[in-house]
Amino acid sequence: MSDNKTERLINLTLALLATKRYLTKSEILENVAGYKGTQEAKERMFERDKDDLRSLGIEIEVGDLDVFFEDEPGYRIPRKSYELVVPELTGRELALISIASNYWNDSILAPSAQSGIRKLQSLGIPAAVDFDFRIKYRFENPTQVLEELSTAINQRSKVTFSYDSTTLKIRHLEPYRVLFWNGFWYLIGMDLDRKEIRLFKLSRLVSGIDISKKRNEFQIPTNFEAAAFLPKSDVAVLHRAKINIRKDSALILRNRGTFIEQDGEYETFELSYENEITFLRELIWYETNIKIIEPVSLQNALLVLLGGVVK
Amino acid sequence: MNESALERTARALDLVPYLLEHQGISITELANVFGVTEKQINQDLVLIHMCGLPGYTPLELIDMYYEDGYVTVSDPQSFKRPRKMGRSEMVSILVSLDLLKSMRSDALRNEIEELQTKLLSSLQFENPFVVVQDFDDSPFLQDLERAISKSSTLRIVYLSGNKDERTERIIFPLEIYRANQATYLNAWCQTSNADRTFRLDRIISCELLGNSDVSGAPGQRDLILEQEGAVILINKSARNFVEDNRAIIKNIEEVSGSEELLVKLNPVDSDWLVRTVLGFGGGISVKEPLELANDITSRVQAIQKVYLGK
Repeated sequence: MSDNKTERLINLTLALLATKRYLTKSEILENVAGYKGTQEAKERMFERDKDDLRSLGIEIEVGDLDVFFEDEPGYRIPRKSYELVVPELTGRELALISIASNYWNDSILAPSAQSGIRKLQSLGIPAAVDFDFRIKYRFENPTQVLEELSTAINQRSKVTFSYDSTTLKIRHLEPYRVLFWNGFWYLIGMDLDRKEIRLFKLSRLVSGIDISKKRNEFQIPTNFEAAAFLPKSDVAVLHRAKINIRKDSALILRNRGTFIEQDGEYETFELSYENEITFLRELIWYETNIKIIEPVSLQNALLVLLGGVVK
Repeated sequence: MNESALERTARALDLVPYLLEHQGISITELANVFGVTEKQINQDLVLIHMCGLPGYTPLELIDMYYEDGYVTVSDPQSFKRPRKMGRSEMVSILVSLDLLKSMRSDALRNEIEELQTKLLSSLQFENPFVVVQDFDDSPFLQDLERAISKSSTLRIVYLSGNKDERTERIIFPLEIYRANQATYLNAWCQTSNADRTFRLDRIISCELLGNSDVSGAPGQRDLILEQEGAVILINKSARNFVEDNRAIIKNIEEVSGSEELLVKLNPVDSDWLVRTVLGFGGGISVKEPLELANDITSRVQAIQKVYLGK
């Protein structure tokens, strides 16, 4: 069953690709191998096959240019629309693409990256050079959702999903972009309940994503800059702290800070930090080998944090 | 797996031009490249072999040989060049190049950018993915990579976070990876005679030593004080602990009637665990073992004493 159909689809593709002029339906049904049964059955088969090939992204051109078959439309697959056209790639470029595509691991995007690469490898590009670089990116690939969100964004279809959050659980969104940032995937779009652009971490999706059946439900603002909606790291919000560090300890802090003065058994360093909690977590690592001198607010925050642990 | 006729057709259409550029390829390799079994590839080849142009005489069929496990195509009929790429193929390739680019600040970055422009010039489409580039890479990244590809040893000076010490080590680098917002190097450390993981931003100097012999056997585990079977309770405010540390989580149980999670951990470095718990300020509490919970309390008291003098 599957064999017959596959064979027929391949034969049809070959015939439509090989022809310079349009082939009429009757020519196809008569000559292309695999069309069997009554005329009606054959025609139904052909209609389905056309749809199938189109769903594979193959463009079938319909025309009636041939004067001898005025009443019947003709079909062909223009080679230009069928074949891959890319500017000449070098072996090095092809190797870059292969290395990069390893990032998909077991993700749903892995097969499409691999089939894309197979096509590029079928262009007769000379074998690749070996690269020195070895760095890999380890991150969690959300399985299904990347592909689904890509489709939803492409079709401009709204999405609904449940999100792990203390307040609003079910979210309705016009999806704009999917972002990869700091090792995690995010979805950004117009939150229809909150009426503003919001960012959602994909690892916090509780279930799958429902994509609306409708298309073109919204527009993405022109010049939309997804990255502009990320929490900013800004030099202007850098805070300064004075930390006393015991001799020969907290080497990583010392390496990062500026020595100011000797203070008894301690040495005072100045350090800058962006985020209070992140910095406190780093400081806690050194336990009693360090003491926060300034700002007092940071010292208090540390005591509150520790108070929480033993409450 | 029950594959649809369409999937099979798509693969067959891609197989022929691939074979044409890889004449004499083995069935094993082909199965590997296309991610299917050898049996499947064999069935595909039998099928393709029967396809051709109307007339279907031997001259009009796709002509190929597959003998002794190797395949050669002599006449591909109309399938000389690969099919154009679909949107998801294009998207996954471009995004993976973005990911690669996000890890480089060297010349490779420009090279990848040019390649992306080149690929996009032939295809107009909207990319729904954005990869945000926002980290500094280590000045030693390229040295480390070169050392790996040349199998050379390195002398590094490293600031250890766990032990709070500065050490000089001879290492044999094995793998560099970025995870959880930092870049790490896995290496065989000859100095400590064990496999070690280093954070690149804590390497303060690095010198290539060349291809000297490494003594010892990579793969040996280092002796660290590991805490086995710890159970911790995580409340809502500390949920990102779970996201950031999946690798060490053995299992998660929701505590009914609350928003808390009861998490069993794989063996972890106990110092690391203590300090992490401290850093969450009550968002995480240790349920088991009791000694660990007590240890945490006494450490908190010691730090409090520094400030409150009690």
